[in-house]
Amino acid sequence: MLLPRFDVLVPETIDDACAMLADYADDGVRILAGGTDLLVDLRRPIIPQHVPRCDGCPTHPEGQIATTIECEPSKSDPLMSPEGSIRTKLADPKSAAPAFLVSLHKIDQLKGIELLPSGGLRIGALTTISEIERSSEIRKDWTALAHGADSLGSPLVRNRGTLGGNIANARPAADTVIPTIALGGKLTLQSSSDTRTVAAGDFPTGPGLSVLKPGEIVTDIHLPTPSPHSGSAYYKMANRKALEISTVGVAVWMVLEKPGGPIKDVRVALGAVGPTPILAKSVGKVLIGKVPTDEILVQAAKAAAGDARPIDDHRGSAWYRVQMVEQLTLRLLKSVLSGIENDR
Amino acid sequence: MSDYRILNTRAPRVDAVDKATGKAIYTDDLRRPGMLYAAILHSPLAHARILNIDTSRAEQLPGVKAVVTYREAGTTPYGVSPARYDETIFCHDKVRYVGDEIAAVAAVDQDTALEAVRLIKVDFEELPIVLDGRTAMDEGQPLLHEMHKNNMCAKVNWHFGDIEKGRKESHIIRTDHLSSKMQDAAFMEPQSILAETESNGNLTMWSSTQAPHYVQRTLAMALNIPLHKVRVIKPAVGGGFGPKASCSSAELAVCLLAMKTGQPVKLTFDREQVFLHSRARHQFFHTMTTGVKKDGSLSFLEHKCILDGGAYASFGIATVYYSGSLLGGPYRLKNMKYDGYRVVTNKPACGAQRGHGAVIARALFEVQLDRIAEELGMDPIELRLKNVMEAGETTCNELYVSSFGMREALEAVRDSAAWKNKRSSSGKIRGGGKGIGAACGFFVSGAGYSIYRSRTYHCTVVTKVDEVGGGVTVNSGSADIGQGSDTVLAMITAEELGLSLDDVQVASGDSKLSVDLGAYSSRTTLMTGHACREAAQDAKRQILEAIAGKMSVAPETLDLKDGFVVSLAGEIDFSELRKEYLQEHKGFVDLPDGPQLTFAEASRVAFLELGTIVGTGKYRPPPLGGSFKGAAVGTSPAFGCSAQVAEVSVDLETGEITMDKITGAHDCGFAINVTQVEGQMHGSIMMGMGEALMEEIIYDKKGRIVNANLAEYKIPTALDVPPLDAIIVESNEPHGPYGAKEVGEGAIMPVIPTILNAIYDATGVRIDELPVTPERLMAAMKAKKDKKG
Repeated sequence: MLLPRFDVLVPETIDDACAMLADYADDGVRILAGGTDLLVDLRRPIIPQHVPRCDGCPTHPEGQIATTIECEPSKSDPLMSPEGSIRTKLADPKSAAPAFLVSLHKIDQLKGIELLPSGGLRIGALTTISEIERSSEIRKDWTALAHGADSLGSPLVRNRGTLGGNIANARPAADTVIPTIALGGKLTLQSSSDTRTVAAGDFPTGPGLSVLKPGEIVTDIHLPTPSPHSGSAYYKMANRKALEISTVGVAVWMVLEKPGGPIKDVRVALGAVGPTPILAKSVGKVLIGKVPTDEILVQAAKAAAGDARPIDDHRGSAWYRVQMVEQLTLRLLKSVLSGIENDR
Repeated sequence: MSDYRILNTRAPRVDAVDKATGKAIYTDDLRRPGMLYAAILHSPLAHARILNIDTSRAEQLPGVKAVVTYREAGTTPYGVSPARYDETIFCHDKVRYVGDEIAAVAAVDQDTALEAVRLIKVDFEELPIVLDGRTAMDEGQPLLHEMHKNNMCAKVNWHFGDIEKGRKESHIIRTDHLSSKMQDAAFMEPQSILAETESNGNLTMWSSTQAPHYVQRTLAMALNIPLHKVRVIKPAVGGGFGPKASCSSAELAVCLLAMKTGQPVKLTFDREQVFLHSRARHQFFHTMTTGVKKDGSLSFLEHKCILDGGAYASFGIATVYYSGSLLGGPYRLKNMKYDGYRVVTNKPACGAQRGHGAVIARALFEVQLDRIAEELGMDPIELRLKNVMEAGETTCNELYVSSFGMREALEAVRDSAAWKNKRSSSGKIRGGGKGIGAACGFFVSGAGYSIYRSRTYHCTVVTKVDEVGGGVTVNSGSADIGQGSDTVLAMITAEELGLSLDDVQVASGDSKLSVDLGAYSSRTTLMTGHACREAAQDAKRQILEAIAGKMSVAPETLDLKDGFVVSLAGEIDFSELRKEYLQEHKGFVDLPDGPQLTFAEASRVAFLELGTIVGTGKYRPPPLGGSFKGAAVGTSPAFGCSAQVAEVSVDLETGEITMDKITGAHDCGFAINVTQVEGQMHGSIMMGMGEALMEEIIYDKKGRIVNANLAEYKIPTALDVPPLDAIIVESNEPHGPYGAKEVGEGAIMPVIPTILNAIYDATGVRIDELPVTPERLMAAMKAKKDKKG
């Protein structure tokens, strides 16, 4: 096993967890939820240069095989994908080999899916992707998130991986995050001193980077009350049918004023086409207030493609990703619409 | 229906329960008293001169028992082909790829060993690198090895028949290209090694290997130990597919550490190291010009190929020969020219992988046949049927096919897949996103010659009858690497001795047990099968002679069947023999009491008469092949052939490809174990499908692998694999035991072109770069659309 040595702290309450994060901040501490990303990221590679993957990095300072090389993401390197660059952050020695992991698995407050009196939904951050997959409420009223859960990793990964972890990891292709953004999800962040709420779309700030402060934990995710005549869907495109990181992922949420249109509200979120998931704001400008027609949906899909900011990397080229955003957005807009119509 | 009791059935594998329950012991499961852990220092650079290696800090780390570099290991060159020994245990002058081995450490635990490796300081002078195989031979390119001038480590220039004559006879001539990517074999078990020395200087190495015999030879040669003092044992192995068929520097390094420390030393590769060590499929750049006459019969093939083999020769010389020679069949082709160049580049070395050297060449040739069929307005299966060889024919490069169910296989997949309902007979494509395609393949059933030049038997088997009576043990150096060869040996022995499978033990994978060249070139069932049958028959003869002597009957009148001695000349009274047996077994229950003598009684009595009974068997192929340079590569006592039909759906707006079904038929001569034959076909199809659609090692500009893990290096998941229909064709190979020949590699040959031809049928678009990802397909469809404009 090529994992570095670390101690695992096991708090039983959110407050204790926050306190531990604060107490051990100087020693290097990371939050452990399902571990499906963290443990992979902590693994020490055989070839140190496999970590940063960016050009212009010093490969062997002073001719020595260095332990870890720090480097900044380089936009010019075609291999420096939005996905790849999260690893760059880990090249910081402190975060690469934390002395402590705070495991959340015993904190019951972080678990469970709860229908709120308002009609909205609260999902504890520690809820596994499998639990989301199996939730009939989510599949019915927040369908895009069920689709995202279906397409994440493999059954084994889904049994371990958590919604909070998928969000906090802040990867631009995260399969449950793209739907959560389209559904208008809100996140609760808690630290020893503060509790605050941020929109899911405002959480990530870069590949692997987010507004989460040191000592803060994502505690739960709120999905708003489903509107009448609304629906949602997510589609992940990749080279194989499981165990994949998407080439492009698109989530669509839409509300009609009444059956047959016009469109009251719409949100389209895009994955793997920028340093963070992208809320394609141009789509709303095209569609809101309009009766959906084939022509206008095509226009909306083109608008979504215009909002994408992909780069070339080993998972796909920018031109292909832009094309796929357009194609997938169009398909999802149509399928969500027909879902709403059939629901009546 | 055959007359066999055990052969030709679906007998469960002898290792099935142990593997399913986790009881099977793999190398990494082994622990020895005082065992140390090894770690290797791999080069971080693709090409650099080594100026200095300072191991002092590593040596001072508490817990470190030994640090070795070329200074301790020496620089005896080794490799696979004796004519191309270009490796040393550790780099001494230069590193030639990212991952090249510089030093190794043995320490009390793995953390310490890894830490020590990090403390080794190496001063490098970076050198310019060569990453593109197509230009590696060009003037002015940096040179990797003095011995490989212009970075070319092997070339083949063959001309059989007369291609100019063939050209003149041709009605259609077309030229096409296909390139592939370097691959990883993605076996489940990473390489694992444990080595230990004894006070008398004997060295034992347990290793996850396909070829204990070759590894034993290389260890003895490179470490300078007498051959008989080196023992290589192969515990259970989780797949090999070729990359584990040669001795690795890691095996040598671990043995060296065991010798230096006098303690057992273990190393298990991290998955990243599996990628770094590689020795998997080469990268191929093929160009073929093929001509056919008006009636569709083949007139010539002109074939050029560059193989990018990474930093060392490894199996590359055989690979470049196979790329050319195996296009000699399965079609009648009188005129064939081949120019193959195997180059070295600053990437991990490539070696053999399932379908050695021939897979991409086969893919392009079969794609060409479809394009020609289209131009001729002919059904592509009809075109193939028109050209297939029959048993008794010899290819233009002097490969003799003694059995050949090619026509039967092709007709079987055509009919089973309802080809005629799905594809127009004029060779026209369907388009519209639904496609069907077909292709054939041809492969050796065991290499005709050993890797080193020798008259050696390719295998021997020693079958020992238990002295207590009742059971037998088959001793063989052959390597069951998951393909099921132990089960084949057990079935053959049980069949010959009239025993149940449970009464046959197979001890294998140990160089002390017998000589066996190992699990490569699809050789074990045919070759070790022969030796195993001979050994069982030898043991049987001795038992029956002993019984016949006691009974004063002719041995020919006795046989062993269903656990009993049977007399072919009327009933015999065995009561005297039984009396002696019962007398020995006072207090035992369930003793034999029927009219027939049991095998347990017979084998015990035979021991009492003769002492230990040991049957031996051996096999070596007859001299094969022509007299031209390189004629030995591609020869085989027998050739397998196969045909497949793939059905695909393509999303024309995204390029996404869904495999709907693959129907395959393979001529294995005779199915010793029906389930295992089907399993090899299924595995081949899945592996070929990955190569066609997903698998590629991606390098950055500095020669570092970007996707050295199984998350980013894609192989098909269970969800990607379509329903598979495996049809077994049995042509009764005269040179195989019971008529059997290969299935392990031949079944992969048609997979890639079958899929490429189906994609073409679905889209009207040809892709000449593998793998066909949705993006590459989309780009090609877009280019076609733009052209039409």
